[in-house]
Formats: sequence, structure tokens, C-alpha cells
Amino acid sequence: MTREVRATDAEAEAVREFLTGSGLFENLYLKFAMKSFQKQLAYKFEYFIGVFNGLLFIFIFTSLWRAIYAGSESAEGSGFTSGSIIAYAIFAMIVRISMSMDDMSTIGKVRSGAISLDLIKPMNYFSMALSESIGQSMFHWFTRVVPILAVCLLMFDISLPVSAANYTLFIVAWVFGYFIMFMINFLFGLIAFWTIETFSFQLMKYGLFTLFAGGIVPIDFFPDWARPVVDFLPFKYVLYVPTALFIGHIGGAEALKLIAVQAFWVAGLGFTCWGMWGAAQRKLVVQGG
Amino acid sequence: MFFALLVYYAGHIGVVLVILTKFKTIAGWSLGEMAFLYGLMVFSQGLTSVFFSSMNEFETLVVNGEFDRLLVRPLNPLGQILSSKFEIISLANFTIGITALCFGSYYAGVEWTFAKALFLPAVLFGAVLIQGGVRLAVSAVCFWTVRNRSLVHTVVYSSKEMILYPVTIYKMWMQVFLTILFPLAFVNFYPSHYFLNRDGSDLLFHPVIQYLTPVVGVIVFTCAYALWRVGVNHYQSVGN
Repeated sequence: MTREVRATDAEAEAVREFLTGSGLFENLYLKFAMKSFQKQLAYKFEYFIGVFNGLLFIFIFTSLWRAIYAGSESAEGSGFTSGSIIAYAIFAMIVRISMSMDDMSTIGKVRSGAISLDLIKPMNYFSMALSESIGQSMFHWFTRVVPILAVCLLMFDISLPVSAANYTLFIVAWVFGYFIMFMINFLFGLIAFWTIETFSFQLMKYGLFTLFAGGIVPIDFFPDWARPVVDFLPFKYVLYVPTALFIGHIGGAEALKLIAVQAFWVAGLGFTCWGMWGAAQRKLVVQGG
Repeated sequence: MFFALLVYYAGHIGVVLVILTKFKTIAGWSLGEMAFLYGLMVFSQGLTSVFFSSMNEFETLVVNGEFDRLLVRPLNPLGQILSSKFEIISLANFTIGITALCFGSYYAGVEWTFAKALFLPAVLFGAVLIQGGVRLAVSAVCFWTVRNRSLVHTVVYSSKEMILYPVTIYKMWMQVFLTILFPLAFVNFYPSHYFLNRDGSDLLFHPVIQYLTPVVGVIVFTCAYALWRVGVNHYQSVGN
């Protein structure tokens, strides 16, 4: 390894001498600096656009609820007041941003064959993927959630809950919700072991998630006949439950019951992931080398 | 894939349906009217994708230096990009769009006249030029920043969410923004007034705005194309 590096250094030295001789040297350094600056700038631009995107969605949904509540007299009695629905819309979006994770990681690795490198590592792939994902989420908490939350607290008539119970329930529900979301993504990622075409499944997952997670419409607003299905599906435990507990829409015994159901889902999905991962490993075919 | 797309769209439609079942109207728009509004948006998007879907991955062309290959050919580079791809998404958009338009015009009781039937293609033409112009302008940003994926995501995808609902739900400054600076309201909101016989007297600026979609389309596309031309001339390859 060391020898190779030295060889490369010597090569670079030769190139440098050659370039200095022809007067291109200074220009090239400048070009490198410019390119690297542009790259940084591009990523910064991407970051600001990402934050902007989150705020845009909050803006759309708060406008939507404000218009609906202004146009309907029965709305106030729907379980959410015109104030609490705005808080719900904002915090549901913030929870969604805090949970954003890379759900294409396994798929990409299976497709490129890089998964084989992970398999020979003396580690459990599931735990490895989970820790990677947690690291990413921590990054999102600091770089996206905090600034977006700060802007929302300034722009909208909302406030953070004061009771410690809200925060405790929220943290537990968020962690469970995060595990549920991660494991759903993990299971959908495993589909790549069986078929090449995975995008269709991802699309269906997004569709189900949009409707049933409560990111836009709180679960309370679903018609009675649909409630048994919506309550059964795991999606509402990802966004709706943590958000509703945070803003105090649900509390007390009901909150504890929901957290218990979350724990049940975490266990059930965990067991499924374990079984599916075993089956997937046996199925693995790495194309080429 | 087609079925998956339908499920994906069903999620978004489901959200609006849940709201309408619970609250009856959104800013004074009933179920049928909302369906018409949605149909016009989705159908025109499908049509836009037929011509412009390849623009969404323009970043890849620039980052990989593949755009250079197009430049040396004796053809308009824009034409070459546009004709390189057709997406099944368009097919799903057409299916859902037509269904929503039919459902909407039935439930909202649209009285189809000869003039309306003639105006519909004109509106679609304008809507495609507006949305295509937006995509073109966003792609042109690549010439300066190289990467634009997040921008595409915000401007092309997230902005759809904005016109899913009547723009009157937004505050005045936003309505003005969606009319003049980023005129997506012309894609579905303003022309819907004409088709649905909605009272246009309270529209922003002047009731005539409901007929202006084709004109706005031509203006937006011309400006976007001008920006694109400036970009092409400014373009320096990433060099690899």
C-alpha cells in the first residue's frame, strides 16, 4: 500500500514538473480550486433547497387547513380546532422530515453487487443498515429539523408543549415509529433479492404511506367505515402517533395503549425482517464480479 | 409498473377524498370541481412528460459530460434530449387525468359547448408549455451549478402539490406569485373557472384571466428557451 502511494506521488511530481514547465500549472490549481468550490456550493444549494422544500410543504398544508376551517362551520367540532390542526400539520411534517431515510440503499447494493462486501463483514447486516440510517437521521435532526422548527415557531402561531409528559411520550413514540418505518423500508429493500424491478414496490409504498401515515390528513378524519383498516395498518404508527402525542392531541391511557401497539409492531416487523433476511441471503445471486 | 403508479396516485387522491368527505368543500370547491381541477393538472402533466420527462435527469447528462456529445451533433441539443425518452408515467397520467376529467365534469355538471370543446386543447397546449418551460428553465440552471436535483424536486414535483388545491387557499402574495412569477395557476385553476362556469368576477386582476392559459404558455416557454440559450453559450464541460 505504502509503496503504491509513493509511486503515485512520484508520478504526480513528474506531472507537476511537466505542467510547471509549460506554464499550465497555476491555471490548473485555480481550476481545481474553482471546481471544488463549485462542488461545495452545489451541495450547500441542495441543502437550502431541501430546507426550503420542507417549509414549502408546511406552507401548503397550513394554507389548506386554514381555508377548510374558514369555509366549514362544523370543522371546529371535528376533534381538531383551527389552532390545533395547524400545529398538527406543522409537527407532522417536521416528524416526517426527521424520519427521512435512504430507502434505496439495500436495493442499490444488491444491484451493484456491493452487498457481497457487506456480507463478508463480521457484522449483522440489519444492525449495520440501521446504525447507518440512525446516523443519517441525527444529521437531519440538526441540519433540517432544528432550522425548520425555528422558522415555524417564528412564523406560525404555535408553541412547543410545556409538559414533560408530552416530550417523554413523543420520544418513545418517535423511536418506535422510526423502527417501524426503518423495518418497512428494509423489507421493501429486500424485494431486490428476488426481482430486478423494485421501483414499482417503492411507488406503492409511497402511495400507502401518503394516505395512511397521517402526514397530511390526521387519522381522525377518516370515515368510520375505513377506520378499522387504517388503525390496523402499521403506517399511522410512524407519523400520526408521535405527532398526536407531541401536540397533546392524545394523552393518558390511550397514548400508552398506542405505544404498546407500536411495540407490538416493532417486534412483529423485527421478526419478519429476521426471517426475510435469512431467506434473502439464500436467494442472493451476485451478477458478475 | 402501471398498477404501482395507480396505487401511488390513489394515495394522493385518497387524501383529498378523505378531506372532502369530512368537510364537503375546499375553499368553496366541491368534489366534482376538485376532480376537474385535478384532472386538468394530471392530464397536462402526462402530456408534458411525453415531451419533457428527459429534462428531469438533465443533471446526469451534464455531470457525466454526455451533454458534450449532443453539442457536437449538427442538431438542436434541446431536440435531441426531448426525443430520447418516453415514460410509462405519462400513460398513468392520461388514464387518471381522463377519468378525473370525466368524473369531474359529470359531478360538477359541466355543460359542454362547442367553444369549451375547442378551448380544452388550447388550454392543454398552454399548460404543457408552462410546465415544459419550467422544466427547461430548471435544467438551464445546471449550466451554472452543474447539479440541480433538489431544485428539480422542488420546482417540478413539490410544486404539483401547490396546484392540487384551488390557489385561493393561499394568501394574496402567494396567489400573485403563482399567477405572475411562477404561473402554475394557469395550468388548471384559472381555466377551470371557464369550464365549470364558476363566477370569475372575484378572480385576481380581471375575469379575462381564465382564458389566458395559451398566451401565458407561449410567454413562459419563450422566456425559458431564452434562458436555456444563454446557458448553452455559457456552458463549460465538467471535463472528464
